[in-house]
This record gives sequence, C-alpha cells and structure tokens, in this order.
Amino acid sequence: MYINAASTISHQPTFRNAGFSELIEPLDNSSELISPNYKEYIDAGLLRRMSKILRMSVAAAKDCLTQAETAQPGAIIVGTGLGCLQDTEKFLNTFLSIEGLLPPTSFIQSTHNTIAGQISLSIGNHGYNMTHTQNTLSFEHALIDTSLLLGEGKDNIITGAADEFIAFLDEAAEHLNASSKHHLTSGASFFILGKNKTEKSVARVKDVRTAGLIQDIDAAIDSFLLDNFLNISEVDLVLYSDFSEKEKMDSVAHQYFNEHYHADSKLINYTKLSGLYPTNSAFAMHYAVDRIQREPKLKNVLILNGLNKINLGLTLIESLEA
Amino acid sequence: MAVRITGLGIISAIGLTVAENLFSLENSRSGIAPVKYLDSKNDFLVGEVKCSNAELLGYLNIKSQPVSRTSLLGLAAAREAWGRNRHTPELRTGFISATSVGGMDTTERFYKDYLDQNNPDYAVLRCHDSGNTTERIAAELGITGYINTLSTACSSGANAIMLGARLIEQGKLDRVLVGGTDALTNFTINGFRSLMIYDDQWCRPFDESRTGLNLGEGAAFLLLESDKSARISGNPTICCLSGWANAADAYHQTASSPEGTGATMAIQNAIEVSGLSALDISYVNAHGTGTKNNDLSESTAMINVFGDNIPDFSSTKPFTGHTLAAAGAIEAVFSALAIQKGLIFPNLNFNTPIAETGLVPITELQKDQPVVAVLSNSFGFGGNNSSLVFSVNR
Amino acid sequence: MESLKEDLKKQIIEQLNLEDLQVSDIDDDSLLFSADGVGLDSIDALELIVLMEKFYGIQVTNPEEGKDAFLTINTMADYIEKNRN
Repeated sequence: MYINAASTISHQPTFRNAGFSELIEPLDNSSELISPNYKEYIDAGLLRRMSKILRMSVAAAKDCLTQAETAQPGAIIVGTGLGCLQDTEKFLNTFLSIEGLLPPTSFIQSTHNTIAGQISLSIGNHGYNMTHTQNTLSFEHALIDTSLLLGEGKDNIITGAADEFIAFLDEAAEHLNASSKHHLTSGASFFILGKNKTEKSVARVKDVRTAGLIQDIDAAIDSFLLDNFLNISEVDLVLYSDFSEKEKMDSVAHQYFNEHYHADSKLINYTKLSGLYPTNSAFAMHYAVDRIQREPKLKNVLILNGLNKINLGLTLIESLEA
Repeated sequence: MAVRITGLGIISAIGLTVAENLFSLENSRSGIAPVKYLDSKNDFLVGEVKCSNAELLGYLNIKSQPVSRTSLLGLAAAREAWGRNRHTPELRTGFISATSVGGMDTTERFYKDYLDQNNPDYAVLRCHDSGNTTERIAAELGITGYINTLSTACSSGANAIMLGARLIEQGKLDRVLVGGTDALTNFTINGFRSLMIYDDQWCRPFDESRTGLNLGEGAAFLLLESDKSARISGNPTICCLSGWANAADAYHQTASSPEGTGATMAIQNAIEVSGLSALDISYVNAHGTGTKNNDLSESTAMINVFGDNIPDFSSTKPFTGHTLAAAGAIEAVFSALAIQKGLIFPNLNFNTPIAETGLVPITELQKDQPVVAVLSNSFGFGGNNSSLVFSVNR
Repeated sequence: MESLKEDLKKQIIEQLNLEDLQVSDIDDDSLLFSADGVGLDSIDALELIVLMEKFYGIQVTNPEEGKDAFLTINTMADYIEKNRN
C-alpha cells in the first residue's frame, strides 16, 4: 500500500513541517505537545467538546485529506492503546463524586471509537469505520486492517493512531515500578493509504506483521525479512523502540543487526524522539517517510516495535525507487 | 463468501454455557434482575452473569491475579468455543476480542479508593487496557501471533467477527476465535443513566412505550474456520458466516439518524456480500436496545431494505440486557443456534407497535422453522453500524 | 429576572464550553437549538437538564419537557421562575 499523505501532531515540530526528521533531537523531560491552531481545522461546534486526543486526531486526519487533495476517504481506521483517557478520567471523577444527575459529555467521549467517530462526523464519511486497541500494537493492527480493505477494493483510506497523556499516568507508572527513562507524551499520526502509486505517493508500506505473546523475536524478524525477500544488509535504517533499560530491546536490535549479522544498518530508537505512548510506532512511520523523501539512498526502513516486551510489531517501509 | 462456524461459547445473564442459554431462550426465562453482584448503591435492573468474581475464578481455575471480570467472562466463553481443538503448526490461529470497558470493573474500584485516599491497589491498573483483557484470554488458550482487540462501543462484537472472517477470506489466517466480552460496571450504568436512556423498568424493545435499555454483561466467542482448517480439524460446520458490513452513520455522536442511513447501508451491504437476496433472510436478530431512538431508526432501516417483506424479527436484549461489546457476539451465537435448531426467539415485553412504523416482532418462540439465513444487527455510539449474515452450510 | 437571564447565559457558556461566545452574544429570544441561533444539540440538552438541577434545584425528568423549556433564554428563565420554590 502507498502512503499518499502523512500528518503528525506530537511533542516535536512535526505538523505541516516537511523535513522535520532532519531537525529534531531527542526529547527532554520538559517537552510539551506542540498544538496547531485547531480552529483552522475543526468546526467550532465540534471543537468545543473535544479532548486533546480528539483535537489532535481530527486535525491530523483533515490535514491528510488536504495534502492528498481527497474530499472523502474510502474508510477511517484508528489505533489507540489507551483511548480517550482525559474523558474517561473525567467521567470516573464525575460519577464517583457527584450525587444526582450527571453531565453525559465525558461518558459519551470516553469510548475508544470516539476518535474515528469524530473524524467521520467532521467530514460526513459513511465508509467503514474501525478502532483497534491492542496496546502497543494498535497502530500495526490498523495497518493490517487497511491492507485487507485495499484488497477488498476500497481505496484512499485514512489510517492513523493516537494516544493522550494525562498526569495520572506518571503517578500510575511510578507506583507500578514501570517508570521509564522516556518521558510520557501524547501524539497523533495519520496517513492516507492507497492501493496504487499516485503522484501524491511518498513511500510504500511493503508489509506489516504483529506477533502477540511472542516467544522468539529473532525468528520472527528472520521470517519477516525472508517473506519480503530482503537480505539483512538491504535494511538501511532500523527504527526501534524499547521500554526501559531492563527490557533490552536496545540490545535485541543491536545484537540482531550489528553483532549477529554484522549488517551496517543504522539504528535509531524512535521513542527518544516521540516520547513514550502506546502507538508511537505511527510517529516512527511518519519519521521514516520524511527521511525517505530527503535521502535517496534510503530504500528499506524497518520499524521494530518492541515497546511491550511480550508483543512485537514489524513494519517495512520502502522508498518508491526501491 | 462464506466462512465456517465450528465452535460456539457464551456466558450471559441467562446461562453459563451455550446449553443453558438455549434453555433460557426456549423457556422465555430472562436474566434481568436488580443488581446483585456489582458493588452498587442502587438496585437498577441489569442482566448480570449469576456468579461472583470468586466463583468465576474457581469455575475457571484461574490463580494469577489481578484479573478483570471482563477477562474472566471472556475466558469462560472462549474456552467453550475453543473446546477440544488443538494447536498445530499447520494452522495459523488468531484471536480477536472486542470490549468497550476492558478492565474498567477493576479500575473503577481502584479509582474510588484513589479518590478516598483509601490505600488504592495500583497493581490492578495492569488489567485496565483493553488489549490486556484480550491477552489474558489468549494466554490461557495458548494462542500466540495475531491477537487483536476492537473497541467500537456497542457494535464491537460484530466487528470482531467480521474482521476474523476477512482475515480468513484473504488467507491471512486459517482459523480464528472471535467475539467480545464486557463486564457490568458502575461507569457504564452511570453513563447510560446520564444519557437518560436507562429504563428503570424491564426494557421493551420495539414497543411504543419503550423508554430505554437495561445494561447486561457477558461474553461470547465463535470459532471461524476456512475450508482447509475444517478439513484438518474435522470439526463439523454449525453454519456459515456469509455476509458482513460496517458503515458510519456520520449523523450525531450518540443518536442514530432518523432515516437510519448508516444502519440501512450496513444491512444492505452485508446482504450483498453474502450473495443472498433480502428475501432469503428468515430471521433478523435486531439490535433493539429499547431506546426511543435506536428502535425507531432500526425499524426505518428494516423498512428501507425489506419494504413490505419484513422478515420475522426480534430483539433478545430483554433476556440478556444490553451487553455492549459482547452484544454482537452473544447475538451471533443466538443467530447460529436459530439456524442449527430451527428456532426464532421471542421479543419479550412487546405489546404495542411503534406508531411511526407499525412493525410487530415475533413474541412467542417459533419451533421447527426453516431458518436458512439470519441477519444480526449491532449499532453503536459514534454512528458505528454493523450487520452480519449467517446462513446454513450448503 | 434580568439578572437571572445573565446568570443563565454565563452558566450555559461555561457548562457547554461555548468558548467563542460572550453573554452579550446571546439574545434573550434567540433559539438555543437552531443553527441560526446558538446551535446547541441533544447532548447540550442533557447538559442543560444537569445545569437546571445543579444551579436551580429543578428536576426535568422528561427530556421531552425540556424541549419546550429550553427554547430560548426567555423560556428557560420563565421555567425556572415557575418551578423553583
């Protein structure tokens, strides 16, 4: 499938900023979400109720439609690890502390599919509308669904992923001893994916695979590359994520590519760039696309999502020249 | 198109197994009653699974905690549907569950303690996310690889079944266990009450006097197999899943359009995918929640599609309550049973047709019916509309 | 009555996140639920029912009843005057 538009709102200057991959540095702990003026993208009547995750997602999705010069996508597919946390927390607070009638808005907007629903509502789209929520693999599952849909004859699909930070997450992570060296952040990345190469195409998603409750990471990478007829030396760039020092995805990626196979693939930990949220592999995909557009040498970029040690996501992005 | 259904599993307010659910359906025994198991200050009418968490842990022989009620219910149904099937390298097996609340049953207890500063147990937050709910079930069944969760509010369960069928159709998997699970929570009860669509009486789908829904809980799973998989497993085919579709209403955040736009598209497209005609549909298991808005919109959609030839239809929610993400899966199991046993289930509590449409559902159990194809509707918040078509194996 | 209407407008703007509106933008007789008026929808209607209970102790148990009461600021103020003790 071909990537015909890409848009990201994150803690980095990614939004409407082609070439951002050359500019950005790893995030420090003081970083904040960089929000566009949402009024330029979202009708005021809808915007007034929207939480952060909804604003980011609808604006990024609409930006994609503008880039691709598409009025209506064939479908809307969203991945989200934790969904609409801001409204979920708000409604928990509401019903646990108020006696009497309860305001319904935060409940309505607490469901995971509010994101895809609000995108359809804001553009009047009647197509297939789906929400995948398999924690760190939610975006990869959205991509797999997209490839099925392209196989069924649909085209120009808005596919993306979003997660939002709320202050409570820091507290929870601390108590669960899950504090990471990475800073917890918010982000939304959306794409338009099409079956055929068009003049808008910037790169291609060659293949995507998920392995839940994985036993053997090396074997999974082996078979993924084999199935794509790719020698390890042909992988020019590996974008990987790890959870914490303890989980060792860092060394998994290095061992596999550098030590085991002596490939000179360049390795980048994308969580350092995006910050930590369950669907940050979608950020990595936009980053890969941006790099590919600027560096003709880059033919194959592998996204190795090991954010959760029990799950592995593999996405192969190919330049149009490859 | 057609994918084989070779295994069924269910746990709901009307029984812990397929056999118990069927018995309740055949004898018009509803599971709706005042709250008993959920820790609630009120005595709202709900469709609870008649087991405490401790009883479920014992029944399922689960030792490792914390685990959400959503996972426990899902595991009960998934185990029954999986049955005695074995893992084999020949067959690529997947697992897709749907949930709208995930581990909210544990999270809301945590959050109350958190607000009260009453020594909250942060460990339970590990089972909050919907993906974890699914992974717990997959791990117990020994399924690895394609493990996924869908969450599209009240249409989630139907969407999980549809996704499984599409993965088999395109040769990505050979068999896949699909369904949904949701536990009853104060979060959802309060949510639907805040929308003023929670009926304090027993819900009355498609009746003029209807004023809302009763929530329920439960889970259901179906084993879908390709022809190749069924040959290797040797499992007999109960019926086929032959049509599916999802469409967005794009009308309102919660309400369905009065014209039934999204619902009409979902029903029409699902029938088209099945290769059948509208006249082939023997029975419609309606979404029929009992809210003013849904039942009118759904009736209009049925009239749009079927015209004067409306098939026998009923909502089984007065038996189970509205089980949210599990509803589409529970009603898929009921649809499969309707075909397998030649039954059409009654719409309890119906007296007076809706003035605008005049449609009359089936109100008594119909036996020995030639049920060759069943349409099952599931419509959710955000205008998420899905329809499935089940048909006899030919 | 005038101060009741002012309060009502402030509360509506606040509770419904009508960020772009000032009290002076809402006329006493502009239709709250019309696109030409304030442009509220059925979710706002539920929020208004909560507002009536929270600030005025008035229970609107039937959303249908709310439809007439919530037509304009004038009708809302009348309804409050009539129903509060």
